[in-house]
Amino acid sequence: MAATPEKQLTPEESALKTLGSDYTERYGFHDAENYLFKAPKGLTRELVEKISEFKGEPEWMLEFRLKSLAHFEARAMPTWGSPMLGEVDFDDIHYFVRASERSERSWDDVPEDVKKTFDRLGIPEAERKFLAGVGAQYESESVYHQVNEQLEAQGVLFMDMDTALKEHPDLVQEYIGTLIPPNDNKLASLNSAVWSGGSFVYVPPGVHVEMPLQAYFRINTENMGQFERTIIIADEGSYVHYVEGCTAPTYSSDSLHSAVVELFAKPGARIRYTTVQNWSNNVFNLVTKRARADADATVEWVDCNLGSKLTMKYPSVYLMGERAHGEILSIAFAGKGQHQDAGGKIIHAAPNTTSNIFAKSISKDGGRSSYRGLLEVAKGAHGSKSKVVCDALLLDPESRSDTYPTIRIGEDDVDVGHEATVSKVGEEQLFYLQSHGIDEEEASKLIVNGFIEPIVKELPMEYAVEMNRLIELQMEGSIG
Amino acid sequence: MSPVIDVCTLDELPPGATRIVEWEDLEIGLFNCKGEILAIEDRCSHDNGTLAEGEVDEDKCTVECPRHGSLFDLRTGRPLTLPAYVPVEAFAVRVEGDMIKVEVE
Repeated sequence: MAATPEKQLTPEESALKTLGSDYTERYGFHDAENYLFKAPKGLTRELVEKISEFKGEPEWMLEFRLKSLAHFEARAMPTWGSPMLGEVDFDDIHYFVRASERSERSWDDVPEDVKKTFDRLGIPEAERKFLAGVGAQYESESVYHQVNEQLEAQGVLFMDMDTALKEHPDLVQEYIGTLIPPNDNKLASLNSAVWSGGSFVYVPPGVHVEMPLQAYFRINTENMGQFERTIIIADEGSYVHYVEGCTAPTYSSDSLHSAVVELFAKPGARIRYTTVQNWSNNVFNLVTKRARADADATVEWVDCNLGSKLTMKYPSVYLMGERAHGEILSIAFAGKGQHQDAGGKIIHAAPNTTSNIFAKSISKDGGRSSYRGLLEVAKGAHGSKSKVVCDALLLDPESRSDTYPTIRIGEDDVDVGHEATVSKVGEEQLFYLQSHGIDEEEASKLIVNGFIEPIVKELPMEYAVEMNRLIELQMEGSIG
Repeated sequence: MSPVIDVCTLDELPPGATRIVEWEDLEIGLFNCKGEILAIEDRCSHDNGTLAEGEVDEDKCTVECPRHGSLFDLRTGRPLTLPAYVPVEAFAVRVEGDMIKVEVE
């Protein structure tokens, strides 16, 4: 038989070529620890003071941290959510690890071993190809931040939060903690006490950032806690798309990622915030994300959760101005030993506001996924419309899916819809595909890809490819 | 005319002090912010927790809800931070002699 000539591959196909390499090989590796500072395990007042001192912060920020620490100590762990939450051991975590002197603007200046890690993860290449700006955080702090010169000339700020606190302290003070106060919940208190890194974005009125800004978060140390803090302000009529990705090495003991993200969409502005979360299966991912949309503004959360041991995350949008729009697209994939407790919250606080929540979850090999959501229409928010759709796909009888929707309506003149489905990959669907010469594993993948396609198509192409690849990895049962 | 209730004397609410008073089915939080007496409904609009037990910032005239951290402006009852977004009622206060009086409607 004659050899088939090498086929020209499309970008999607080339990206998918690496299929079969498992998580440990692609993301699960870890580097030697050549750190400038690594705090001993445990959380103390002295450590919080030290973090603040290290960063040369103003007095008000130290007070903010110490007050938050008091809230964290006073608050009990949430009793709802996942039973796995009880496994988080706050005494067994390194709360601060400094890998580099400062955040560099030139890739060449990033410390060699850190640079190698991000090279391996493909970050600089992505920046060259299609991003307007990139931030890379390694352990507690940013090691690299760069924004396109043209955008900088238009007044766009994209920097790590530590730098923002130094260069724009008034802006940070005006916005930080106003959507998610330090005492909002125990994990937000913890983040507020020990936060480090994260992104600060400001887009001036009328400026459209056409290409996405990206931040990449990497945990390297075992038993590490990463607590980044992100603020995005889109001023009137502006637009920005921010994308974040996260990975960590595979260890036998647990790490904690607990971020706080606050988005401010001023009148007529639009913010899209995309997450592709692919932490290793030893990471507790307990994150608080909240957005405020003023009149005619739009906020969209595109939230893809594949990795971690336990994720509890419910991005929310407060529609505070008339005709504001909120959108939450959520995908969760729970494999063996994983619990993805994800969802979203929309609060209609003004008239004629609109929103959609589309949530899709897939559970496999005994994994558990939960949709937890809130839809609230306040008194006076007449003419509001909302649609909530959550679909769950179970791939085997051992897996589990739960839905916890809460709907509160305080106004008569509204249009609210809620649909939920749970389906299993049926013998018939598999048989049909197999009768077309597709083997069973491939058929399952096709069904899953078809199931999440409506959300994946909302991702930038490069991320859609990555997402498909990650789903394929999950489907092969090779993760972790 | 709004009903007016006698609450307490000025001596009983020195600067920095707070007090909760009940009138019919209403609970009112009373605050002395550096000599200025202010009164708001003692019920966070987010999840009904008491506000008067929260931390008061006398310089900014705000109180922080002890349950989820929303800051309320004591002069207007407006929430300054989420998760609360609906204002609570603010009541007019007057001092006659050394008696603090609150207009409850």
